[in-house]
Amino acid sequence: MHSKASLILGAGIVLVSGAAIVIALDWPLKARLFPLAIGIPVFCMAMAEVLWGLLDPAARSEAMEFRLSDEAQGGVAVRRTLLAVAWMAGFSAAIVLLGFPSAIALLVLCYLRLQGREGWIVSGIFTLVVWALFYTVFDRLLHLPFPAGLVQGWLGL
Amino acid sequence: MIDALLEGLLLVLQWKAFAFMLLGIALGFWVGLLPGLGGVTTLALMLPFIYAMSPVEGFAFLLGMHSVVATTGDITSVLFGIPGEGTTAATILDGHAMAKKGQAGRALGAALASSLVGALVGALALALAIPVVRPLVLAFGSPELFMIAIVGIAFIASLSAQGARGMLRGFLAGGLGLMVATIGQDPQAGVARYTFDSLYLWSGLDLVPVLIGIFAIPEIVDLIVRGGSIAGEMPGGRLNQGALEGVKDTFRHFWLTIRCSLIGTFIGIMPGLGGAVAQWLAYGHAVQSARTVEEREGFGKGDVRGVLGPGAANNSKEGGALIPTVAFGVPGSSSMAILLGGFFLLGLVPGPDMLTTHLAVTFSMVWTIVLSNVITVVACFLFLNHLARLTVVRGHFLVPVILVLVFIGSYTANNHYGDVVLMLFFGVVGYLMVAGGWPRAPFVLGLVLGKIVENNLYISVARYEFAWLTRPIVLVLLALAVAVILYPLIQARRSRSRSNAHA
Repeated sequence: MHSKASLILGAGIVLVSGAAIVIALDWPLKARLFPLAIGIPVFCMAMAEVLWGLLDPAARSEAMEFRLSDEAQGGVAVRRTLLAVAWMAGFSAAIVLLGFPSAIALLVLCYLRLQGREGWIVSGIFTLVVWALFYTVFDRLLHLPFPAGLVQGWLGL
Repeated sequence: MIDALLEGLLLVLQWKAFAFMLLGIALGFWVGLLPGLGGVTTLALMLPFIYAMSPVEGFAFLLGMHSVVATTGDITSVLFGIPGEGTTAATILDGHAMAKKGQAGRALGAALASSLVGALVGALALALAIPVVRPLVLAFGSPELFMIAIVGIAFIASLSAQGARGMLRGFLAGGLGLMVATIGQDPQAGVARYTFDSLYLWSGLDLVPVLIGIFAIPEIVDLIVRGGSIAGEMPGGRLNQGALEGVKDTFRHFWLTIRCSLIGTFIGIMPGLGGAVAQWLAYGHAVQSARTVEEREGFGKGDVRGVLGPGAANNSKEGGALIPTVAFGVPGSSSMAILLGGFFLLGLVPGPDMLTTHLAVTFSMVWTIVLSNVITVVACFLFLNHLARLTVVRGHFLVPVILVLVFIGSYTANNHYGDVVLMLFFGVVGYLMVAGGWPRAPFVLGLVLGKIVENNLYISVARYEFAWLTRPIVLVLLALAVAVILYPLIQARRSRSRSNAHA
């Protein structure tokens, strides 16, 4: 996982910085000076990182910060990671379709019922509390504008 | 001078000014806690409300609010791994790691105590520096500001990972951050760079969704994968005792806290650098304070010094940033630019008048910073026990709440769905960086500094051609950057040869 993620990232930066350099060549000098001054060394360093990874895949270099826990490994970790991605993708889709207020209630209720396997009463009360907090702080107090979802638009609500 | 100092205190303690300060503190407390809802935005939102206030009341309200935002922002960073404020992201690295080890109370205690020390140092600097700051600010032109930014990136890139490969990744991450910062309309020629005909990208990428994505998403995924609570199976223990331990840590590493406070104050004084830079430089300095390679390896895994450094710097910068704002009308940061607007709304003109005719008002600002931070830290300690217990709440109760905060925090940056997409994209980048063992701090610093570096480089070349490289302060800063890069390599080599000699 460690070397695979590193390789994907390194290769991604090679592609992005390469494309950035090619695009920048068409701009006037004032606009391209800085992107090229940064893009070229980044491209070279990314190439070095990819080659290092390919030639010495066993070499590890840990960053001095947060690390993913190793409590779940192999297939279980991959399955749970995909599940996390699915929750976030689902929440994003719900926000666009239903708008923030409904999507928040739906996420909290579904997450507690399906992922947390909590009962209906606990899930319902917790959902109500979270939604009330969201409504009070962000809507009533801060008056932040949250647009309605697409579904409300289709239904003419 | 002493009379003006005392008069400033009495002005703040008048019941109306004090009440406005408390109101500001209450607002700043919640703004700091809520991710994505920035102190700068809130400062701008509150500006219209000061029309009817006197200058002292207006500044008590605005500064009371603004100077505590970073303090409570640290709480969100430590407990949930989400930056409560853009200026509190560095606290996540070790603060959240401590929370996961069951030391949330200690991390919070350290963050709060160092924040208080930082705020006091910043306020003291403001009080002392007003008469002597002019030559310092005038000595720093674009070449020097450019070099300070380079030293900052070199600091973080070389210190945030181990060995030569770690350093390569650090510089690569920093370079990537600088590259991402070039997205949007270029400031010199007006060319839309890497915008792909999208209006959303014209003004560049907003820092808040990028920060939330890169720091919060990997943590959330990990929490879901792990199951359980943030602190895992670690015993919660007596959390208020942990907080006391954090306070003691601040005094155990008192000189580090003071040095990081001074770094924050200095960065605050320099126009255009801002708090997001100060915290990372202070973190870099905290890492550099480790005497051995083994000690350094503890950073990022929950070393309390990684909390003390940024905690102190992101609060001391306020006092520092006020110095050029009050003395020359040159705002040190975007929040100070808004505060400058407050000066004019209240009928004051920054400059010599603030140091003579209105000296008591200037000192009332110093006292507002001091009092609001003391009140906030005391209030936080009263609720600390309950706050720290959030880390032992079961994960499936926390994940949806954190997800809601993450999505709202990103969306409210510009009220645009593009920010949510941006947050998710950088969430993937952040996850790959964490999974691959890449440091995220250099990327963020590169992103924060990108525009500053480009502007100052362009001005330096346009104004001095290549002669700017021979300016004395530039040469000193260049030597410092080289030393910062070489120091960890020399230290690692020494450590290797010492262990070889022992074997």
